[in-house]
Amino acid sequence: MHATRRRTNFGSIGILYCLLVVVVALASVNRPNNLLVWIFAAMLVALLVSGIVSGAMLIRLRAHRIEPRRARVGELLVVRYELRNAARFMAAFDLHVVERDFPASITPCGEAWALHCGPGDTVHAEGVFRPSRRGLFRLPCFEVWSSFPFGLLRKRLIFARVSEVLVEPEIVPLQPALLSRVARGGLMGGVHASIEIGGGEDFFGVREYRSGDSVRNIAWKRLAGTDQLATIERSRSVPPRVRVVLDLRRETSALRVASGVDPRALEEDAITLAASLMALADRQGDEFGLTVLGLDVAAIPLRRGHFHRAKVLAALAAIDLDLPRDPSASLRESAERATILFVHADRADTSVSPSVGWNFTASQLSTLRLPTAHGAAT
Amino acid sequence: MNLLRQHRVAAFLLVLLSIAAFATSQKDLVLLVSGGALAMLSWYVTEGPRGRSLPSLASNGLIIALLAWTLLNFLGELDLTDSTAVLGRFLLWLLVIKLFSTRTTYEDRQRVTLAVMLVVCGCLETVEFIFAALVFLFLALSIWTAMLWRLHASYEAARVSRRGDGGLLPPPLEVSVGRRLLPQFRRVAFFSIATIFVGSALGFALFPRFGESRGDRSGSESVSGFNDRIDLLANERINESRRELFSLRWIDPTGTPVKSPRPIYLRGAVLDRYDPVTHRWEVLRTSTAIRAMRTPPDAKFVALGPGVPDTTGGVWTAEITMRSLATSVLFTVYAPFAVATDESYSVAFDPQTLLLRDVGTDHVGRYWWYALRVQPQPSPQMMETLQGSVDPPRSDVSFPVAAMVPIAQQILVAASVTGLPTAQDVRDDPSLRWMRNREIARAIAGWMRSGRFQYTTDLSSFRIEGGEDPIVAFLERNRFGHCEYFASALVATLRSLGIESRLITGFVAIEYDGSTEQYIVRESNAHAWVEVRTGERQWTALDPTPEDSLQQISERNRSFADNFRWIYDRVEFLWNSRVLAYDGAAQATIADRVQSQWWKYAQQTLDALRAQMRALVERYALGRAGTIWFSAIALGVVTALAAWFVAKRRTARTHRVAGLEALPHEEARVVARDCAFFADALDMLDRAGLSKPAPMTPRQHAGLVTAFAADAGMEFARLVERFYQVRYGGLRQSISDRAETRNALLRLKSALSRGR
Repeated sequence: MHATRRRTNFGSIGILYCLLVVVVALASVNRPNNLLVWIFAAMLVALLVSGIVSGAMLIRLRAHRIEPRRARVGELLVVRYELRNAARFMAAFDLHVVERDFPASITPCGEAWALHCGPGDTVHAEGVFRPSRRGLFRLPCFEVWSSFPFGLLRKRLIFARVSEVLVEPEIVPLQPALLSRVARGGLMGGVHASIEIGGGEDFFGVREYRSGDSVRNIAWKRLAGTDQLATIERSRSVPPRVRVVLDLRRETSALRVASGVDPRALEEDAITLAASLMALADRQGDEFGLTVLGLDVAAIPLRRGHFHRAKVLAALAAIDLDLPRDPSASLRESAERATILFVHADRADTSVSPSVGWNFTASQLSTLRLPTAHGAAT
Repeated sequence: MNLLRQHRVAAFLLVLLSIAAFATSQKDLVLLVSGGALAMLSWYVTEGPRGRSLPSLASNGLIIALLAWTLLNFLGELDLTDSTAVLGRFLLWLLVIKLFSTRTTYEDRQRVTLAVMLVVCGCLETVEFIFAALVFLFLALSIWTAMLWRLHASYEAARVSRRGDGGLLPPPLEVSVGRRLLPQFRRVAFFSIATIFVGSALGFALFPRFGESRGDRSGSESVSGFNDRIDLLANERINESRRELFSLRWIDPTGTPVKSPRPIYLRGAVLDRYDPVTHRWEVLRTSTAIRAMRTPPDAKFVALGPGVPDTTGGVWTAEITMRSLATSVLFTVYAPFAVATDESYSVAFDPQTLLLRDVGTDHVGRYWWYALRVQPQPSPQMMETLQGSVDPPRSDVSFPVAAMVPIAQQILVAASVTGLPTAQDVRDDPSLRWMRNREIARAIAGWMRSGRFQYTTDLSSFRIEGGEDPIVAFLERNRFGHCEYFASALVATLRSLGIESRLITGFVAIEYDGSTEQYIVRESNAHAWVEVRTGERQWTALDPTPEDSLQQISERNRSFADNFRWIYDRVEFLWNSRVLAYDGAAQATIADRVQSQWWKYAQQTLDALRAQMRALVERYALGRAGTIWFSAIALGVVTALAAWFVAKRRTARTHRVAGLEALPHEEARVVARDCAFFADALDMLDRAGLSKPAPMTPRQHAGLVTAFAADAGMEFARLVERFYQVRYGGLRQSISDRAETRNALLRLKSALSRGR
């Protein structure tokens, strides 16, 4: 991708150097010392060479941001840049890549830098950022700059290339026993046999033997009685199931919070808690799903696995808390067997659904957190 | 990554070089050896196996002691003219102390800054060639170091920027490097250094100059014996340096280079006035009949006076090649009557003294050649023609030091001159006066050469008692000295006896190189001798200095290095004559010369072209329309060349974008012809800012273009499909296909222009 703009700046060293050149020039004019004149000329040419070399280095440089796609609050976002030097002879040195006009919630904490990119070479540099808020963010453009060879002039190439980064909510480590207490021991959760045939341990039924059935599954008693081969079928075992219901029916301003507490921060904490609960479920092998009440977010069915987790976290990341809420939303009854965990921003509200469930509030996030070795919740 | 660590070594070398440069500027060998040795030792101490460094307390204590010592010394002597040297010495020792301190980046920066300051101090102290050479080396190394430093600083900045934030540790910085890092870095570095040097030379030449240069235009004249005065108290000119100044080829009347049985005296200045107060010999500028002339180019001789007979046969020729001496004096052998130069110069001839001087400012180079036709025994008629009217012989000859008269009488007695004409004889026949003068002068010169006086260049023990004249001190008490004393004493004695004489400075050619059949004249051959008037227009050269002393000096200190010394001498000569002496006049001369040369060259080329064209027109009998025909052909050739170049470039680009490098040549040629439209399409997109990112396939690129400009994207997508068919599907485009492709390109172009 071509640079859309090219810029040249003097750094502080360059300005100091220019002042020095002026002083030497005045001295050369004032005092006809030819060695001084030569030194002045060399200093002046060094300035020109600095501009020429850094300009020539960057003239055929192409840069490309490799889409970062996802990030997570509390984790570092590594953005990779591909730098390609299309020049035939001129190598590029000391290439810095920095993002421009990026959102304030993304803090840079590691500059992307490439020492060298030879003619026809492609090198990668990686910049590190720390997102502090979830959401969908745009990285509108980035620049590649170099002050090689002498650091006097800074040549910049600005590439207008928009990338979108979906920052997932932070996942805090919760107490591992939390889900086993509320879900596995309950009526709706826990490991149980499903109504589907599978490879579990529980008896499901008997059917006629088909060629290829394992000898181990032959119903020997029935064979003895009826003299016909039959195969025992077993039911599929289903892991515990958890549905996290995020209650965002109330407008941010309508939340019932004590004075001095930021209601938007509570909502964000609720989202973080929901994400953390689902991450814990995922880690423990449970199936989990997400329902967001009050916003137009499609309910995500109960599944497990890496992609499902990514899908759920993406849905949480994309929640726009500035959209109007639907206060009448409620959890519909369904035949789904799962423990329901309600996460509320302000207070528990039992009117959400007639179903039996566990209620959490955002303010509980700190107490549910796994204590650190020092005793304090992280 | 080696390249990121090399800056420390480079910075250390820079520091060493700065110490060497400053010590050179001070001409202080002790400073060079002690400072350099300590600096080198510091590397072993701090970077060696034990890696020790000076504790900061000790380092600061040493710095304070150094500062106090410097201040005390400076205030004790309080010589403001020496302040730069004092500052430089302080900086040098400060730098040495800093070298033993801890090796941090901050300290490295301090050291480099101190090194630069040290060199600046040196620049203010001297402009000599050897120092300038070190400064240029310092400059080159500075450029190299700055580039290494830049890379290191950026690496450090990028590394430090990876700070942990909120308990999160970023991945460590992995240095991204392409292929062949070191060779390419060296290439860029050498390019930068070369460009800076060439550019600075150009800038130096074009820099506007408002005054005279500080550099002495005469270069090393001040130490080589050609300024037109002698200071007997200074004793600064005569030395034993073996620096080669010029060469002399002495050609006999048959045109054969020969070695003269006697030393050849090359006259540079005639000093005829002695100041008894300052004890200086100076030129008495009374001659008003200076003749200016322009020598023809191509070494053609020009007579030095009107009506000088062309005595081509029976005369000697002295050919002189100036090698490392910048001077405007043309050294002559008595008596010259014609001169030739390698280029056209403006020459002034003084008939009174028979001296020649270059007075033109139309040349910068002092590496030049000239030749003189001389008549060692000129006839009175020839001298009359050559000189015209000159000052008549003086009858009131005296020497301004009264104490010399009795000394002269004593010497005359001691020299025991016999057979002299009496005063009556001289009155009866005035011509006997010249014979008397000659005999007396020869006798006294012989007396001085007879071992009573010792020749030496070491005058450290030469004592002059209060108010005493140095010549008197030489004759009466010290009885040792160098040629200036011998010559001064002889002139003083002769003038005290009423004999007209003058002191001559120049060179004496002794060292003959048989392989090149020429004399080598060195700085140590600078000499002073005497000329005594022995006729109305005749002067006889007499040298009171013992000849064997001159021979000894010439042969002393000879070494193997003398064989190569001329290289250094020549470069130093160029530095003195072309850099230090470069001023506004020289700049104007160069500008004129470049302009005239350019015009000359352009005209010559044009004339040659015209002549060729005319010859061809005549040969093929093209008549008057021949010019038109040739113009048309030339235009056609230029157009064809341009078209060939564009087509070649387009084919190369097609090869690149279509990835045809791996195909057999013939197949690649055919496919390239059919795929050229794709390269054109990419060029159009390139210009519109929609260039293809390297990892994208053409189809993906088409999708990207569509996202930015729908119409252009669709057109480009069609072209991409065609490209796939041609490149990978084996399709060969027919004429109609090509027309269609061309139309698609035009549509793409218009879509892109609409998109803007």
